[in-house]
Amino acid sequence: MSENTVQYSKRSRERAIKDFLRQFLGHGGAQLGIVCLIFFFVLAAVPNILVGPLQTAINATGDFLAPPSSQHLLGTDEVGRDVLNLVVHGARISLTIALLATVISLIVGTTVGMTSGYFGGWVDVWLMRITDFFFVMPSFVLALVITPVVLEVMGRGGDILGFRPSLFVIIVVIGMTSWAFVARIVRSQTLSLKERTFVDRARVVGSSDFSIMVQHILPNLVPQIAANGALVVSGAIYIETSLSFLGLGDPLQPSWGTLLSLAQRAGAASAGAWWYLGAPGLCALTVALSFVLIGNALDDTFNPRRRVIP
Amino acid sequence: MTEPSRSTALLLNVDGLSVDYKLKGLSSRAIDGVSFALRAGEAVALVGESGSGKTTTAMAIAGLLSPNARVSEGEVRYRGERLPINDDVAMRPHRWSETSVVFQGAMNALNPVHRITKQIAEPCILRLGLSRSEATVRARELLELVGIPADRGAAYPHELSGGMRQRVMIAMALACRPSIVIGDEPTTALDVITQAQILKLFGDLRSKLNLALILITHDLSVVAETCDRVMIMYAGRIVEDGTVADVFAQPKHPYTQLLIESIPNPANGKRMIRPIPGDPPNLVNRPSGCAFHSRCPSAMTVCATEVPSLDEVRRGRVACHLHRPLTQEDKVAIHA
Amino acid sequence: MAANGGRTTRHIGHALLRAAVTLSMVVILNFILFRVIPGDPAKLLLGGARVSVTAEQLEAQRKSWGLERPLVPDQLVDYVSATLHGDLGYSFKFRGRRVAGLLLERLPATIALVGIAQLIAIVVGVTLGMYAGWRRGGVVDHITTGASLALYSTPSFWVGMLLVVIFSTALGWLPGYGGYSPGALKGSLDLLLDYLRHLVLPVSAVALGLIGQYVVVSRAAMSDVVAEDYMVTARAKGLTDLQMLMRHAFRNAMLPVMTLVTLNLGYVVAGAITVESVFAWPGIGNLTVEALNARDYPVLQGIFLLLGVSIVVANLVADLTYGLLDPRVRQ
Repeated sequence: MSENTVQYSKRSRERAIKDFLRQFLGHGGAQLGIVCLIFFFVLAAVPNILVGPLQTAINATGDFLAPPSSQHLLGTDEVGRDVLNLVVHGARISLTIALLATVISLIVGTTVGMTSGYFGGWVDVWLMRITDFFFVMPSFVLALVITPVVLEVMGRGGDILGFRPSLFVIIVVIGMTSWAFVARIVRSQTLSLKERTFVDRARVVGSSDFSIMVQHILPNLVPQIAANGALVVSGAIYIETSLSFLGLGDPLQPSWGTLLSLAQRAGAASAGAWWYLGAPGLCALTVALSFVLIGNALDDTFNPRRRVIP
Repeated sequence: MTEPSRSTALLLNVDGLSVDYKLKGLSSRAIDGVSFALRAGEAVALVGESGSGKTTTAMAIAGLLSPNARVSEGEVRYRGERLPINDDVAMRPHRWSETSVVFQGAMNALNPVHRITKQIAEPCILRLGLSRSEATVRARELLELVGIPADRGAAYPHELSGGMRQRVMIAMALACRPSIVIGDEPTTALDVITQAQILKLFGDLRSKLNLALILITHDLSVVAETCDRVMIMYAGRIVEDGTVADVFAQPKHPYTQLLIESIPNPANGKRMIRPIPGDPPNLVNRPSGCAFHSRCPSAMTVCATEVPSLDEVRRGRVACHLHRPLTQEDKVAIHA
Repeated sequence: MAANGGRTTRHIGHALLRAAVTLSMVVILNFILFRVIPGDPAKLLLGGARVSVTAEQLEAQRKSWGLERPLVPDQLVDYVSATLHGDLGYSFKFRGRRVAGLLLERLPATIALVGIAQLIAIVVGVTLGMYAGWRRGGVVDHITTGASLALYSTPSFWVGMLLVVIFSTALGWLPGYGGYSPGALKGSLDLLLDYLRHLVLPVSAVALGLIGQYVVVSRAAMSDVVAEDYMVTARAKGLTDLQMLMRHAFRNAMLPVMTLVTLNLGYVVAGAITVESVFAWPGIGNLTVEALNARDYPVLQGIFLLLGVSIVVANLVADLTYGLLDPRVRQ
């Protein structure tokens, strides 16, 4: 009897996943987003194979600010480095920063939101007060004032976990300042989930609060977290690009935003070097848009009216 | 001709009306060959489950089909003139002036950001060409007519009770002096006492203004006191048509019989609505034969193969093989 | 009535409390960040490492700022009281200049830039978005929605750089740098025209980003309204499409858009930091970049406080006016 139930639910879950994939992949926006992202993930995975090691002013291969040619498909920068080389390596930096910042933000947001919604009372009041602050203050503004101070304290030399300090700081700061809207969504979902019978059942059986949250509530939050996670990545790319553009990135590990900052300082715009400033911006735009499209498609697919919770 | 407001002239003639909905390339027939006539001052109930086509029938008459729905066969004649139902713009003069609608759930059917009087006065200004002050006077009269103090018209919809809002909807429906008012489940969201008051108001207004009334409902119990005639719909077709007295006393179609049995009746101990077993039919892939045969307790072999036509019988119309001459072979019962 | 009054008072109380809590966090964060920076705070307060000061000056500074007293509560109280009095300290980079004065000096240029951009973006974005939502699934909807999602995901400073390349460098139509042409001080009308010419490109860059945002929100609001039952009622009343749009759909769809407009007022200062940097527009944004490059912490913190105040105030206004247009919430 119980074995039957298990098999049945397993089969229905497989069907649910299949249905989900068919619907999600049938979404035009999602298709476009996924294709673009695969492209950029390949760039980010093997930049050395595709364009060789990151060029520096010393091993630069071209003229100064040379327009695109057969040798340099995307032209060169002000010290003669190949822009294609820089942009492909930048993909790795930009995507890593955005994804890691998102992971931090999702972990913090989910933890805060779930704790707040599950326990309620004064825990809820205080956590939501903090969440309010981060919700109201844009991540970019907070990062703008926190990042330079933390960098001043830590110094800009050496590296932390393979990152230059400024990148590491940017990852952590973006992650720690952009979780508020995830927390709000997770909280409201948790509030409705904890009233469901399956949570009562678990409570009657004597499961601890922690195991109820992790085993029963968290799995049901996954759709919401995934859809919003995609939007968080897109926001993180936007913030990272802006911060690096203002000079908070690191020229030794240049992200797309740092390249734009270098282009700006080199006067690329007034020199008409459209390739130099165009390439990194277009990449950032494409990746951010892809994540927005995927997030929207996920949101459409996980339409709450259709979602089935046991 | 002496007293036109008491005439029983033929208002509406629905003839073989079929409506198709298109959704993502799939076409489904919501109503199929619906025919009936409506006279001035007559009150008819359209009864059926959701998906039976009762709302589509009424919306076609009111010229309010959604953009993905089309009349594919048949026609509707209003006072002898064919209605251009598929032409949204050409239907505009007909709407509200000839046929108005009292929607269910007046909370959502009224615009939340406009005052009551303004919403009632709007069709008077735009359709009757009254000035703003004339329209306001008319709106106040209409409010009094439906039993709301005219001064309450300064309120917003959310400030009124459910029953009051439904009265406002009725006042609004009367604004352009239509000859037909369609009530689309007008009492569904209301408590029993308010429900009775609203139905009584419908009855009073009908005799006072000689309105023809089409009442859409899935609840047979609201029909008895309000309507003269009842039409039972199933899977897009009319399956039975007769006076309220006849249909309640002697239901002919098995579906009607089950519907009447399912009405809760505290007198004989039934307090809950007993649903009819089985699922409503799929309108994209219609079952063969009579759409009801898979749920019908008296189904015969012929029911699975042949669509019964809606035939005139003594006192009314019915679409059921039980009421037609059949061969022995046709009469083999499906269910033991 | 009394219950309604009570509810309104409570609502206002909550909104004020939230604003106060957020602002206090801004001030406390500023306080903490400033104390965390390595080096002698007295020296920092006198103008940073690049300024040479005598030991006596340092001692006097320490006394007058109470830096030998405990951080909490004494120094915090002093800091908060100074902040409340508008004393934001002195800039490192612009020697001897008060931070508050610097901010006031730069503020008008930023307000002009972002204010004009907001006006244009609201008119264009809301019109396009409402139309797209009204005719959902149509050609205009597909183009507008695609374009605004792209604009929404594009850093506006990059749009600014492209505008410079195209309209300033390649075509030479408009200036792409600064707020005025050097040495061209003739009549006041010429001065104004010159200023406006300098405004065109930065305003366009800021406005384009905002248009994306307004389109997305207005389209969503309008497509929600179109699906409402009262729109069916309006159609049943025999209204024309235009009458339905103007009398029933537009105002209802404007409710959420108005909230966005109010909230965006808070980003008047923060919204153009990167764009100002592209165009060297002499406003708060450019001051931010200068402060970042020179590690001019007092100025940076002054800016943070200014941004915080404007954002919190806009949120407060949105909170309090929420529903002024919506009778369901008004009462």
